[in-house]
Amino acid sequence: MEKPFFELKDISKYFAKVIANKDVSFSVNRGEVLALLGENGAGKSTCMKILYGLYRADKGEIFKDGVPIIIKSPKDAMRYKVSMIQQHFSLVSAHTVTENIILGNVKGKINWEEESNRIQHLADKYGFSVDAKKKIKDLTVGEQQKVEILKALYLDANLLIMDEPTAVLTPQEIDNLMNFVKDYSKQGNAVIFITHKLKEVMSVANRIIVMRNGMVYGNVNKEDTDEIRLSKLMIENSIEELEKPKVDELKKEVCVSLKNICVKEDQEIPLLNNISFDIHKGEIFGVAGVSGNGQQELCMALCGAQKINSGSIYLNNKDISNLSIKDRIGLGMAYVPSDRHRYGLVMSMSLAENILLKTSYSKQWSKNGLIDKKKLKDTTNGILKDFRVKASGPFAIAKELSGGNQQKVIVGREVENCGDFIIFDQPTRGLDLGAINNVHSAILSEKEKGKAILLVSTELSEIFTLCDRVAVFYKGEIQGIYNTSDLNSEKIGLLMAGYKNEGESING
Amino acid sequence: MIVNLLSRAMMMSTPLLFGALSEVFAERTGVMVTAIEGIFLMGAWAGFTTAYISGSLSMGLLFAALAGLLVSILYAYLCVSLKQHQIVTGTAINILVAGLCSFLQRVVFGVPLSPLTVEPLQKIAIPLLSKIPVLGPIFFNQNILTYSVYLLVPLGFFILYKTSLGLIIRSTGENPEAVDVSGINVSKVRFVAVMFSGLMCGVAGAFYSIGYLGMFTTNIIGGRGWIAFAICFLGNWNPIGAFVGTIIFGLAEAFAILMQSSSSTFLPNELFIALPYILTIILTISRKSFNVPAKLGSAYVKEN
Repeated sequence: MEKPFFELKDISKYFAKVIANKDVSFSVNRGEVLALLGENGAGKSTCMKILYGLYRADKGEIFKDGVPIIIKSPKDAMRYKVSMIQQHFSLVSAHTVTENIILGNVKGKINWEEESNRIQHLADKYGFSVDAKKKIKDLTVGEQQKVEILKALYLDANLLIMDEPTAVLTPQEIDNLMNFVKDYSKQGNAVIFITHKLKEVMSVANRIIVMRNGMVYGNVNKEDTDEIRLSKLMIENSIEELEKPKVDELKKEVCVSLKNICVKEDQEIPLLNNISFDIHKGEIFGVAGVSGNGQQELCMALCGAQKINSGSIYLNNKDISNLSIKDRIGLGMAYVPSDRHRYGLVMSMSLAENILLKTSYSKQWSKNGLIDKKKLKDTTNGILKDFRVKASGPFAIAKELSGGNQQKVIVGREVENCGDFIIFDQPTRGLDLGAINNVHSAILSEKEKGKAILLVSTELSEIFTLCDRVAVFYKGEIQGIYNTSDLNSEKIGLLMAGYKNEGESING
Repeated sequence: MIVNLLSRAMMMSTPLLFGALSEVFAERTGVMVTAIEGIFLMGAWAGFTTAYISGSLSMGLLFAALAGLLVSILYAYLCVSLKQHQIVTGTAINILVAGLCSFLQRVVFGVPLSPLTVEPLQKIAIPLLSKIPVLGPIFFNQNILTYSVYLLVPLGFFILYKTSLGLIIRSTGENPEAVDVSGINVSKVRFVAVMFSGLMCGVAGAFYSIGYLGMFTTNIIGGRGWIAFAICFLGNWNPIGAFVGTIIFGLAEAFAILMQSSSSTFLPNELFIALPYILTIILTISRKSFNVPAKLGSAYVKEN
């Protein structure tokens, strides 16, 4: 039998004392697209970084065509024609495409004209519309990924490792990428595709390796499996079915009310134009739309970080339009921001400190003028327990947690502080299935408590599962407000793209 | 008088350019050599002492470079290998070197009754070229270090923008991760860049003691290391920019010396002595274009 192209055997890797990989063994053959499937933190990236020489394995061997090889650095990996595209691209944004591709791969004096022609030629050959002389910072994320792929092609790589390559792409770019992967593997090259999205796995892979907790839990051919069986392999505790609690329509009273909100900056096109809607108690009100159509501004305006130019906001019939952020928090408004690193947590502080952060001025935390450590610790422990946060304790540092667990901490804090109204801005972005499930059940339990909820999401499935009503945003305006049950994805897609269906919308 | 002034400006800008140019290279890899003032001083002391004892200025320059290298290795070890804070480390080293130099000066020379001197570097007039009116005395009647600057600027520019090495240097300051993923050792690039800076700044320091004054005092550098540091910023991390910056400062310094030696009482002398320092502040504020390496001053920590 033919020897596998590349083979990992009993690879183990520890960070401090945490197991990242334990006895990981699998192989990839020529002409094959191998999917490496698993939740965030399952150890997929780690074992691929070992194969690419970025990490050193504590134990285990790597074989190429049956011959043991040693890969100490990416230079070695490149010699064996292995290339890896990192999840967060490693490109120098102030430099040109050419500069990035030839970095470390040329010697002595550089003939810029010749090099950029060569790269342009390569890009054209593969149908990548990338200008070799452009700077990385002027490219879209999709184009940047093409630059990363071009770098691999420039090095004549035969094994291409891609770490979550579709996370940042539009649906059309994803299709193009999948086509490239198929063509490239047909030429006798191998691709390892790291992902946690089942749909992608089924569309592109020949064979699937499922990883969980740093170990291999499955090695199956695509023909022999389906999405449900894969998800069972992938997730430890299978996901609970969510049920949308029914809230009596008539009991609803208005909690939050927006009247003709306008936000403008520098005389240009308004960021928000004439936004009006009400959110009732116990209602999940969705905001759908392509990212960047005013959703961020809406959340900021509601929480008080963005000044509104006209209009007014009412919370429980009280005009809060001119109140400070702190006053709004005091009135019971909670906010889960979309960018958790920037607005959600202080990464270098402990979880307990982060819990304290938003209501630090409140008397509830103070005892004799000092922080009531015991109360803070108990509250934090409660949140960690309620939301099943995987952390060493209330004094773990925020950045040590995985993205999903960080988000659970934020959700926990906001739910804790929430009086009547809570804003969720893309609460599940970048999370794996288990964490998404946790966040969704938190949202539903808030609904059950009778709170008014604003849910901004770019994932239509999320809107459909959770929301009672939805407003579709386009260029800072509301395209229409609908009962979710009256919409399907085709209709909402048209609205998101700017087509208006007159007469169908219900009143907010 | 103008010719005299410009000729002196060329000369006074020489050590600043050695310092600023090497700082450009180090900062392009992401490391600010904040020990620059100390390296200047160490070079000045080592250069003078070696020259005084051996009687050879070439030996003085060599040992100045080596002394600068030594200090830079200490700095690189702390900041690149141990990833310590660059500003704190640099400040500590500057203070350490200042104390060390006055200590060593005492140990080697005791307390001499008259100032110790050496014959400073001689100007070398280039045949024919130095006879050109105006330009000749300005550009072609200088000492060996000033001449080498004419080579260093285009050479520095060429390396930084036209070679593979330059691309690696520039990328390291912008995104060390990208460099790492390309299979290049980030720490090694940074360490070597700081060492290069140490060699150059050692020579720059020696310029003040044996290239110009012919003597050593503990305050001989008087903040000029910091000016070279500032010129790197002002010159937008570009060798050509650094060159323009040093000429401006060289002029200011030459002007101050001229005013000191003339008996004019029109303005107080101290104003001209302070001129380069005032200029630093004004130019820093008024500079517009920014080319600052994205990862300047932050250590590269790699999980392993």
